Amino acid sequence: MIKLENASYSFKKGFSLSNIDLTIDDGEFVFLIGPTGSGKTTMLRLIYMNILPDSGVVRVGKYSSNSIKKRKIPQLRRSIGMISQDYHLLADRNLFENVALPLHVIGYSKSDMGDLVIEMIEEVGLTGKENHLPDELSGGEQQRACLARALIKDPDIILADEPTGNLDPVTAFDLVKLLEKVNAEGTTVFMASHNYSLIKSRNHRIVEIHGGKLRS
Amino acid sequence: MDKFLFLFGEGIKNLWRHKLTVFTSVFSIFLVLVVVGVLFIAEQNTQKLIEYMRSKYKIEVFFVDSITDKQAEQIVLEIRKIPGVYSTTLITKDQALQIYQSQFNEDLLEFLDYNPLPSSCVVNITRKKDGLLHVKPIINKIQSMKGVDSVNHQGRLINRIEKFYEKGLLGLSIVAFAIMLVTVMIISNTIKLTIYSKKDLIQALKMIGATNSFIRMPFILEGIFQSVLGASLAAGLLYGAVFGVNVLLGQLTSFTLHVQWTFLGWLFLIAVVISLFGSSRAISRFVK
Ligand SMILES: Nc1ncnc2c1ncn2[C@@H]1O[C@H](COP(=O)(O)OP(=O)(O)OP(=O)(O)O)[C@@H](O)[C@H]1O
Ligand SMILES: [Mg+2]
Repeated sequence: MIKLENASYSFKKGFSLSNIDLTIDDGEFVFLIGPTGSGKTTMLRLIYMNILPDSGVVRVGKYSSNSIKKRKIPQLRRSIGMISQDYHLLADRNLFENVALPLHVIGYSKSDMGDLVIEMIEEVGLTGKENHLPDELSGGEQQRACLARALIKDPDIILADEPTGNLDPVTAFDLVKLLEKVNAEGTTVFMASHNYSLIKSRNHRIVEIHGGKLRS
Repeated sequence: MDKFLFLFGEGIKNLWRHKLTVFTSVFSIFLVLVVVGVLFIAEQNTQKLIEYMRSKYKIEVFFVDSITDKQAEQIVLEIRKIPGVYSTTLITKDQALQIYQSQFNEDLLEFLDYNPLPSSCVVNITRKKDGLLHVKPIINKIQSMKGVDSVNHQGRLINRIEKFYEKGLLGLSIVAFAIMLVTVMIISNTIKLTIYSKKDLIQALKMIGATNSFIRMPFILEGIFQSVLGASLAAGLLYGAVFGVNVLLGQLTSFTLHVQWTFLGWLFLIAVVISLFGSSRAISRFVK
């Protein structure tokens, strides 16, 4: 469960998120929609505790922003899969190595991770491209690779920040369907986007943000 | 174990990516360790070198012409008692003549009807190093004895050499310390560069939930690789140099360097400590 209770955060240089109240239950699929600069990325950063609220509380699973110790934050993040606007694939590693990276962090042995990575790459439909470097993949393929990297550690939550960013409508739609498939298997999905036309037909809860405030 | 292999591999890759800066780090470590190594070797050989120099050093005392052998013997006994004197050898007029004849192969008495050579005494000084050697008082004392005509010595020379040697060691220590500080900076800069070039990886690892120590480990290992590399090169050079110097010295003198090679272990330790200082300096600022 993700729960923001009256959470506020201000950047020193002006922008602030104020009094955010939001509860996302386990297994839910929620869209976060809002124009550019409205605070979507900032809100996701609060959830994976990249920043901590100035006031109010952010709760994710058993962790709470007002009691979590700094060295516990990595543990929280291991239960979250991130697909982000500015967190790209590593340019000097091929698809396989990029997808395998989270397993190295968790401490998988090389022999155990092979099958898992291959399976994950298959699930996002990139079989055969294991040896491609990121710039040898199309934009849509890169996004799916990011999804594979986020999913491989079997996270409880997927946070997707504009995952359809510069994809054509068809490819963007495919990606959302992939996320829905993951959601159907029990993973909570919280996806930020300003692409309303993509979202409205999907029949999921939509949360709207404007100038740092939620609207209902 | 696999986790460690992964981190180890990352560290090696870092090295390869910045060959030139890495070369600078390795070279500066190498330089520090060579200087420190020379200090170690010099320190280990101080005693031996000074003993060697002192054993070569002697004071020649010439007695007045009128002295009898008995009187000379008496004076020699007194010289013997002066602190700092190790041994004395009396050379009587007759012996001096014999030495002269055997060395120059001519008979002085053939064209002189008397023996012109004075009786003399060779004084060796204590070899044990116990602070700087002060020959001046010894010489003064001998000179003031009755029956002594003149004293031949290089008193200032040995004193100067010993002083120079000790100053040299001190100077070298200061140099070593200075290069060490510079090396810490250089290593820290190299690591900083790697960290900078791997911002993407660091960010990715943070997102995934890697702990700080996991993220830092490759950079620390990179520093250690550099230092071990520098230390190996330095150890090789020192070993070769001592070997070469001993071959040379062996041809010229009876003095050779004697080295306890266990000090190389210390060199490696120093190298690792320097690299830890360097990398932690870079990491603490850039991987928060
Ligand atoms: N580190 C920062 N310091 C100061 N201001 C910031 C910082 N990061 C973001 N902002 C500001 O906060 C506001 C919200 O940024 P945020 O990235 O959350 O927007 P967004 O909704 O994700 O926009 P987009 O759809 O373009 O990604 C922006 O006005 C931005 O300029
Ligand atoms: Mg954003």
